[in-house]
Formats: sequence, structure tokens, C-alpha cells
Amino acid sequence: MFPENPKESAIPSFSKAAEIVGQLGEELAFVAPNQDTGLLPINRLVMDLEELAETDTPPSLSAGLQVARAWLDQTLDGTGKFTEETIRNFNQWHGRMAAVLQAWQTGTTMPAWPEGWTPTGGAVTATEPNNPAATPSGVEELSIRLNLAEDFGLLREFHSESVELLHHIEQGVLVLEDNPADTVTVNSIFRAFHTFKGSAGFLHLEALRGLAHDLESLLDAVRRSELRITAEIIDLILAGADALKHFTREIGAQLQGANAGAPILVPTRNIIARVQSALRGESPPEAASASVVTPLKAPQMAGVALSSAMKTAEPAAGPKVQQSPADTTEGLGVPNPSGGFVKLDTAKLDNLVDLVGELIIAQSMVVQHPDVKSINSLSLVRCLRQLSRITTDLQRNAMSLRMVPIRAMFHKMNRLVRDLATQQQKHVQLVLEGEETELDRNIVEKLSDPLVHMIRNAIDHGLESSNDRVASGKPELGTIRLTAAHQRGGIVIQIQDDGKGLDRSRILAKAIDRGWVKADATLTESEIFSLILQPGFSTAEKVTDLSGRGVGMDVVRRNIENLRGKIEIQSRPGLGTTFTILLPLTLAIIDGLLVGVGDHRYIIPTLSIRESFRPPPGMVTTVHGRGEVVSVRGRQTPLLRLGHYLGTPSRAVKPEDGIIVVVESGDAARGLLVDELIGKQEVVIKSLGRAFRQQNLLAGGAVLGDGWVGLILDVDTLVQMPYHPPQSAVPVSPVP
Amino acid sequence: MTFSLGDESYGLPVLNVREIIRLCPITPVPRMPPHVKGVINLRGTVIAVLDLRAKFQLTPNAYGERTCIIVVQVAAPSGGSILMGAVVDAVEEVIQLGADDIEATPDFGGAPDTQYTLGLATIQGRVKILLNIERIFLEDGTLSLPPISKLQPSTQPEKI
Repeated sequence: MFPENPKESAIPSFSKAAEIVGQLGEELAFVAPNQDTGLLPINRLVMDLEELAETDTPPSLSAGLQVARAWLDQTLDGTGKFTEETIRNFNQWHGRMAAVLQAWQTGTTMPAWPEGWTPTGGAVTATEPNNPAATPSGVEELSIRLNLAEDFGLLREFHSESVELLHHIEQGVLVLEDNPADTVTVNSIFRAFHTFKGSAGFLHLEALRGLAHDLESLLDAVRRSELRITAEIIDLILAGADALKHFTREIGAQLQGANAGAPILVPTRNIIARVQSALRGESPPEAASASVVTPLKAPQMAGVALSSAMKTAEPAAGPKVQQSPADTTEGLGVPNPSGGFVKLDTAKLDNLVDLVGELIIAQSMVVQHPDVKSINSLSLVRCLRQLSRITTDLQRNAMSLRMVPIRAMFHKMNRLVRDLATQQQKHVQLVLEGEETELDRNIVEKLSDPLVHMIRNAIDHGLESSNDRVASGKPELGTIRLTAAHQRGGIVIQIQDDGKGLDRSRILAKAIDRGWVKADATLTESEIFSLILQPGFSTAEKVTDLSGRGVGMDVVRRNIENLRGKIEIQSRPGLGTTFTILLPLTLAIIDGLLVGVGDHRYIIPTLSIRESFRPPPGMVTTVHGRGEVVSVRGRQTPLLRLGHYLGTPSRAVKPEDGIIVVVESGDAARGLLVDELIGKQEVVIKSLGRAFRQQNLLAGGAVLGDGWVGLILDVDTLVQMPYHPPQSAVPVSPVP
Repeated sequence: MTFSLGDESYGLPVLNVREIIRLCPITPVPRMPPHVKGVINLRGTVIAVLDLRAKFQLTPNAYGERTCIIVVQVAAPSGGSILMGAVVDAVEEVIQLGADDIEATPDFGGAPDTQYTLGLATIQGRVKILLNIERIFLEDGTLSLPPISKLQPSTQPEKI
């Protein structure tokens, strides 16, 4: 009846079935408990499927239809309305049908319908009225649906992030079990839920967001010592984390193409109810704790059933997909997830880059070896050229592994701004600049959370409502400007809003209230602003979903400081606030100009160089017989003889023998007198290590092509260095 | 492990020795005390190199055939460890020292400075000067000349 390979004959019925199952999914999304919406269309669609099943469809499909038919008849004969139970059953049934279809398409074994799925399972409906406790406080089970077409990339990030967060939470809970008083762990679990909530809200995964929000509140209560950690609380956190994990697993499965588009439903309302009763200080009622068993069991069973379905569907799916790739992707409408990501330990990446660097050096040693050079062979030359091409490519690739443009992260913010603005009914535009700025992958990853927090703050607190804006004579449309640039020898990221600015007196009042600042203390403006970076600080009057719990900014500061960066805050009342994040360029690759001074070579970051030229005689004039200035495009620029500053005897005694490199930082500019320009090259900046961390003349070192270490000059320091007349610059002596 | 500087023989714990490399090009770092020779590229990692002769104020000597760099790994007080190189005249051997072999450094009354020595050991009639490597390397790891100008903006006051 049903051929082993369904490809030829069954395709029409398959696509028809797939279409109907897809429509069923759409109808199921609209059903609600105690309502009959969607019942008749679903009935009709099932009838269509039944009709189809009379032709040449696999037996599993018919078996599944029998299940659905039984439930449907029961519902139609009874109240004529859906119950939560039936909705859940239908949703899971639908997921299963999708798996059946996939198995059909790929020609693998059909997942069998487990015992629990026989029509007798429908008896639950009958017991429902006897068990009113099953719907406490009227909270309804929410299912989530993934918008795979639009959010595929984001979901994939969310998935991998969630797996980590949940793992983190689990580990943390285990620590808490042994040591309930461990506030650091409580905080870290709290933050993990907070982040989870944020990401889930961002992707409109309501069910996840709600649960995470409640769990976060629970931990917040623990954090504020309103609640003591008991075995029950720990159970609750674990149960919540399990439910979230289940969701995450399903999302992962859908990203892999299983059950794509099917709603994911994990019962959470019991957990939510327990959390809420715990928050109210009640110990969970007996009935609830008894029913705990059921909701916890249910998802696990469903999980097992589904994952076993996937197991049967998946192994053969791989090879078959290659035979008919068009079929699979079209049939289920899922983007092909073949362009996967691998998460790597960055230490391995660093190692790789270092080794590649070594390889390049070794290669140049071979090529320049006198013995090799003496060989007069055209084919050897060709081989060597080939080798160097490959190594150069390899190096470029290895380097690029670590660097990513900030664009992806910036664009994520676009979506965030749009969603938040809608939610808050504010008109906001996000202006992005410098999206092409490349950052170390490490930095980008760690920068994402802080940026999300800060943009949220900007929309939530910074920008006024449209009415207020119009009233104060500003355009209704608020602007948030997000810029990234290489500057000041590092990377500068700015978040600028044109909102109402920070309220100095309120910040101060709050800080005094918290006892951080004495009431009579006089603080500078920047000191006041930096108060908002303190843990537990929040001027928001009400705790919203978005901000106001006092997490945000201290986490932002910690994250930035972990990257060895810092935050500067500028704010003007009524005009807006600017957060400037300065990140060091360690690990970043820069374009450098290699210059020779005496016997030594130094690297000047190309970004700080305005121009370089060989000065004609007479271009440099002295001031007071000591200070030298060079006229650059009409501006008199102080001249710095690099050799003197660095204690390296310079060959260029007269300026016209050397080359002047004009560097700038901020508003200041200096002409640096060097002996020669050697070349431009991309270098990986390496820290000079502890030994030199006290000096600020050098921004770092870089391994040059010949294996030597080149030192990168810190232009900021050079430009602001007090002028020393040449004769006073003694090599290797501290400057007072 | 023992090594020589001129006629003297020094020792440092072999467990702290990460590797011994031949003398390689050292990039001098400007405005550093004379004993900080500069930095080298150790397979992609930039490490600082000290000249122990200069450090102990011995007469400078031209680097010769046997001159090499001992790469030492020292645990940093702030956690983690740091790698540093030390230029020595020649590496000698690895010896076992019992507690009985070591005697305290005699007091020279301030000159020579004995703050870097842990003690002396006499092995086969030759005196080995045992070095306090934490002291030597961590000092150069944390102390250097004052910054050229006070540009490094102080971090936000933590007093609040």
C-alpha cells in the first residue's frame, strides 16, 4: 500500500497533507480554552486529512487521525468548547503529525503513536470538571510559536545563549543547595534569569518571558532577603529552569528543522502559580504541590515522546535531504540551517593565530635563507611563491576569525528599539554609525548585554513621551545615536539620546538615601553621574519589565571593566545623555605605519596619522631657540623628535633629512620626526604584559614579519607630552 | 637549575623554568631601566626580558655563543602567572639541593645588596647563589619608571 520510497507516487498526497497540517497549525494558534473558536475549521481540516488518508498515505497518518477524530468527537458531542487539556493534546498531536510528515517525506520509519495517545487519552476531558484546581488563578497555558523565517538567526543565538544560561542556573542552584546564603550565586542566577527574560521578550516568546520574569522576581526577593532559600524554593527554581530548558530544547529541534513552525507548549502555569504563592509568602498549598507532579511529568513525557520521534526521523534525514534538498526546504518552509556556527574557546583561536604567525615567520626564514637563495631554480621559486600565497591567505583567514564587524550587533539593536518604542508608545529612531568597525569577537560578545541595557535605559528613562517632547519644543521623534569608531587609540562606542538628560538632584538624593554619599558631600558632575553605575541603583519609580530593578548599569560597568574599558557619562538637562564606552584596542588588529628611528622601528597606528611628508629646508622654525614648530597646512604644529624622546639616537639631525609624520588625537596634533617610513602593515596588537603596564608611551607590541617585536606608540601620550627641548631629553631617564 | 653570570654561579628553582631559548633579537623598550632589555616574541607571545648582569650591577659583557634566555614563569600575586625572560651568560646544570645544603646569605652590610638572594649553597666546592625569583621578576613586573605624564585618568573614585 505504501511504497518504501514515497518520492514519485506519493508526492501529490504528501504536499496536500503538508498543506493541511500547516493550516491546522494556523487554526490551532487561535483556539482558546472554554471557547469554540477554530473547532469547526479544525474538524473540517481533519476530515480533509481523513479523506486523503484513504488513498496512499502511511499508516501512521491514519493512526494519528484516529486519535484526533476521537478527541474532536468527544469535544463536539460534549461542551462544544476546547479545554486546556484538549488544546495541549492537539498542539502536541500537531507537532507529531509534522514529524510523521517529515518521516514520510524522507522515507524513514514513522514514529509510532505511543500508548498514551490512543483515543482513551481523551478521557481527561471528562475528569476536567472534577478538578477545578487545575486552573488556578485563571492563568492560561501559553504556547510559543517561532517565526523561523524572520528570526532564524536571532533564534539560533537565543538558543545557544539559553543553553548556556540554563546550564549556569543549574550549576548555581546546586551551589545554593549546599550553601543557601551564597549571595554571589543568588545574584548570578538572578541575572541569568534576567538576561533570559530580556532575550525571550525580545523575540516575543511570551511564555518563556513570563516564567523567567516570575523566577527572576523570586530570586529578587531572595536577593533582598525577603525570602529565605529553602528546599522548596530550590525545587521551584529547578522546576522553572527545567520548563525553560524544555522550551529551549524544542526551539533547538525546530531550528534543526523538526516540527518546524509547530507551536511549542510546556505547561508553566503551575510553576508560575507556585512562584507567585511563594512570593506572597505562602508555602505552596497542598493541592498545588500534589499537582506539581503532573505538570512536571507531562512535559517530560512529551519531551521524551517528541525527542524519540525526532530520533527516528533525524538519522536518515541527513543523507536523504541531500538527494532532494529542494523538497525538504520547500515542503516545510524552513531556512536551510546548513551554515552552522561552532562555538570555540577563544584561547584555541588565539593559539591558532599565534601559530600561524609563527608559520609566516618560519616561512620567511626559509625563503630568505642564503642557501635557498643560492639555488637557481625556477620551479623552486614558483613553489616558494605558492607557499607564501597560501600562508598569507591562511594568516588573513586566521586573523579574520577573531574579528567581526559590529554591524550584526548594531542591527540587533534596531529591532530592540523598534519593539521597545512600540511598547512604550514613543517615537524613536535609531541612527547607526560606524557599523563596519571591526571588533574582536570577544569584545562584541561581551558588549551585547551592556548595549541592550543602555539602549533600554535610553528609551525607558531617557526619552520623554511624545507629548512631553512636543511640549518642550523638541521634535516628536526621539533619536538614539549609536556609533562605533576607532579613536583615542582604542574603540569608542557611543550611545547618545536626545531625551531629558539625567536628573542630577534625583540621583544624588537616591545616593544619599542609600547611604553611599554623605548628605553634605559636594560631588562633581561626573561623580554624580557615575553613581548610576553602582549596584542596586535605580531611579525608576516602578519596576517594569525593562528596567528599574537596579541591575542594568552596574552589570554594564562590570562588563565594560572586564574588557578593560571604561564608561563616561555626559548629560545635559533637557538635551540628552551620552554614554561613551572606551575599549582598549588590545586584541584588535590595527593598520600601522612602521617607521624607523635610529636603529629601531616603531609602529604608529594609521588611524592617528593625518599625513606624512619630507619637510623642505626652512619649514621647521624654532621658538625661543628651543621649541620647534612645523607649519602644516597653515597650522603651526609642534615638532617632536621621536629619537630624542625614545632615547634612540636619530640619524636625522636636520629635519629635512627625516620625515615628519603628523599625528593627531582629539584636537591636538604633533609632528613626529622620524628617520624613515618602512611600510604599512596590519598588526595584531599584543599586550606588553605586566612589566610595562605602568608606562603609557606604548600602546602595545606586535610581532612583525621577521619575528621581531615592534612597539606600537601611544599617540595620545605623544600628542599630550609636555614639550622637552632636545638637549634635555636624556635616554632612559625618568621624566619628573 | 644553575646558570652563570661571569665567574659566579646562580641557582633558581627548576620548577619555575619554563624553557631555555637561544638568544634572539630583543626589541628594546624606550625609557626603561637598563636591566630591562626589551621584549621578545616567544612564539607569538610578547614577553619582557631582563638582563640579570645589569640587574645585579655586574660589569656588562658582550653576549656570546653560550648566552641564552631563561624563560621563567612566576605566579603573580593577583592570580595567574607571568612569563619573563632573563638573559644569562650560560646555563649550567640541574642539581638537587637538600635543606642542609643551603645556608643563609651572610650580611654584607648593605653592599652588595642581598635582597634578591635566598641563600647560598655549596656544591662540590662551588658556591651557588640561590635567587629569590619572585622578588626579582615580580618587582619588574609591577614597578617601572613613573609614567611620562599623568595622562592616565584616574579611575572613578570608589570612595562612594
